[in-house]
Amino acid sequence: MTASARLPLLLIPAALFVLAIYAWPTLLLMRNAFNEVGPTGAMVEAWSLKTAADTFADGFTFELTLNSIWLSLSATAIALALSYPLSLFLFRTDSRWKGLLAVIAIMPMLISSVVRVFGWLAILGDRGLVNGLLQSLGLISAPLKLVFNWTGVTIGLAESIMPYMILALLAGFGQLDRTLEEASRSLGASPFRTFMRVTLPLSLPAIALAAGLGFVLSMSAYITPKLLGGGRVFVLATEIFEQATTNTNWPVAAVLAIYTLVLLLALLALSNVVAKGLKR
Amino acid sequence: MPTRRLILKTGLATIAMPAVLRSQGAGAQGLSGQITLMSYTGIFQDNYTKAVVEPFLAANPGVKVNYAPGGTSAQMVGSVRAQKADPQIDVVIMDVTTSSIGNIEGLFEKLTLAEFPVLDELLPEARAAGGEFGPAVTFDHLVLVYDTQNLKPPLTKLADLWRPDLKGQIAVSAPPNIQGLALTAMVEKMEGGDYRKSIDAAMKKLKELAPSINTFEPNPDGYSLILNGVVKVATGWNARSQLYGDQSSGKIGTLLPPEGSVFQINTINLTAGSKNRAAAAAFVKYALSQQAQKAFTERMFYAPVNAKAQIDPKAVARTAAAPESRANMIPVDWNDILKVRDQWNNRWRREVIAAAR
Repeated sequence: MTASARLPLLLIPAALFVLAIYAWPTLLLMRNAFNEVGPTGAMVEAWSLKTAADTFADGFTFELTLNSIWLSLSATAIALALSYPLSLFLFRTDSRWKGLLAVIAIMPMLISSVVRVFGWLAILGDRGLVNGLLQSLGLISAPLKLVFNWTGVTIGLAESIMPYMILALLAGFGQLDRTLEEASRSLGASPFRTFMRVTLPLSLPAIALAAGLGFVLSMSAYITPKLLGGGRVFVLATEIFEQATTNTNWPVAAVLAIYTLVLLLALLALSNVVAKGLKR
Repeated sequence: MPTRRLILKTGLATIAMPAVLRSQGAGAQGLSGQITLMSYTGIFQDNYTKAVVEPFLAANPGVKVNYAPGGTSAQMVGSVRAQKADPQIDVVIMDVTTSSIGNIEGLFEKLTLAEFPVLDELLPEARAAGGEFGPAVTFDHLVLVYDTQNLKPPLTKLADLWRPDLKGQIAVSAPPNIQGLALTAMVEKMEGGDYRKSIDAAMKKLKELAPSINTFEPNPDGYSLILNGVVKVATGWNARSQLYGDQSSGKIGTLLPPEGSVFQINTINLTAGSKNRAAAAAFVKYALSQQAQKAFTERMFYAPVNAKAQIDPKAVARTAAAPESRANMIPVDWNDILKVRDQWNNRWRREVIAAAR
C-alpha cells in the first residue's frame, strides 16, 4: 500500500470517535421519536408517527420556530454590528498589544455560560448596574425591565456569540487587500466611500461566515434563553429541554430535536450558498 | 515459561483479590457492597445524608451509599429509564408524579408487606401514594414564601398576591413545574371552583396576576431570589422554606395560605434489577423506619410518613402534618393532574404568560 493510499486511515480514530459520541446517540434519538407517551405520562415503545404528527399539528411548534429564528436573527445582527468594527480594528492595528487585545476580545469564551448569564442579571436586573446608573442620573423613576424578557435574552445571546463571530471575521478578513483601499483613497475617494465601496464588499464573505456561525449558535442556545428569559421566552432549545426533563416526554423532545437539526442544516446550506455567491 | 494467558489470568486475579476478600469478610457481618441513592441536590442532600444516610451507614458498616444528585424528579426517572438494561442506581427518592411513570414502565419493584413489614407502620395515604410500589417517604406542601424584612404589611393570604404593591415582586414557577400545577388548583379553589371540573376561574385570576410576576422560572429558586432582593414573594415548598427561614435568621417567611394548599409527595423506589438488592432493600426499610423519619422531620420539616414515629411536637407543627395544615389541604390526585398537565401548561403559556409579556 502506498503512502497516499494509507492516508485515509488517519481518519479512522476521528471517525470512530464521531460515530460513538454523535452518530449512535443521534440514532437512539431518532428511535425515540417513533415512541409514544400515554395519558399517564409513561413512554410506550412503538414504531409510530403519531408523536411527530401531533407535534407538527400543534401551532405552538410553529410559534417556537418563528421565535427561535427571530431571536437568532436579532442576536446575530447586534453581535455583528458590534463585532465587525472590533474585528477590523484588531485585524488592522499595528499595536504591540494586538495579541493581548485579541485575547481580551475572545476572553468571554473562557467563562462558563451560566456565570456569564448571572453576570448579566447583576448588570441588567431591576437593582442592577444599568438601572442603578439611570436612576441615579434621574433619567428614569422606575427600573426598566431589561431581564426576564426578550430584551435580556437578546442582549445576553448577542454577547455570548460575539467571541465566535470575532474569530470568524478575523479568519475571513484574509481577502482584505490594503493596496486596494490605498488605490481607492489615491483616486480621491473619501474614507467613508472607500469603506463602503472597497472594504465592506471585500469583507462580505467574512461577514457571511460570522453571521452563519452566530445564527447557528443562537438557534441552539439554551442557557441564555432559559436563565434570562424568566419563563417568558419560548424557543426550540428550551422546549426540547422542558419536554425531556420536566415533562419526561422523550418522544416529543426527540421529534423537536430532529426537527431543529434538520432546520439548522437547511439554514446552513442556505448560508453556504449565499457565502459562495458573495465570494464570486 | 509463563504464557501470555497465564500472565493475564494472574494479573486479573491480583486485581480482583481485594474485592473478593472484602466481600467475603463483610459477608460474615451481614450486608456489604455499595448502593447508589439518587435524589435531590442542595439542602435536601445535605440534610438527608446527615439524618438518614449516615445513621444507616453506622448500622451497616459493610455498606457504602453513594448519594447521586439527580436534578429534578423527571431527570431522575429519565436516568433510571436510560439505564433500564443495566441499572446503576439502586434507590430513588422522587416526586410521586414521576415515580408513577417509572412504576408503569417497570423501572421500579413492587414492595411486599412480607419483605417490608415497615409498610404496616405507614400512614394509609403514604402507602396509597405508591400503590403496590415504593410508598411515600416524605410529605410536603406548597407555601408562599416572602421577605419578612421588606414586605409591609406581611403576606397573610393567597389573595394578597394581587396586592398592587407587589407588582413586579413575585416569582412563580409556572407549569409544567408542579408548583405551578398546585398553584392552579389552589387559585381555582380560592375562586370557588374545583380543579377537577374546570380551571377557567383560576386562569382568569392568574391572568390578572401576570403583570405582577417578575419571573415564571425562578433560578436557582424563589428562596434565593428573595434573599438576593430580586423579588419579595415566591412560591415554594414548606420544608425548604422553614429551613431557609432558620438559616436566614427569619428573613424568609413562610405562609400556608388559609385558602388551602396542596400536598407534595416524595416516594422511595427500589430500582428493578438493582445489583445490590439486599442492601438497597435494607436502605428502603431504614428510610421508612421510625428512627429515620423522626430524624429527617426534626432536621428538615418534611412531614413524616411513619405513623409510629415519635416526633418533637415543635417540629411537627412546622410540617404538613400539623393539624391546621392538614385541615387546609385541597384533596388532589396527582395522577389526575398528570392527565391534564399538558392542557394546563398550554393555557398558562397562552393566557397567563402571554399577558405578562
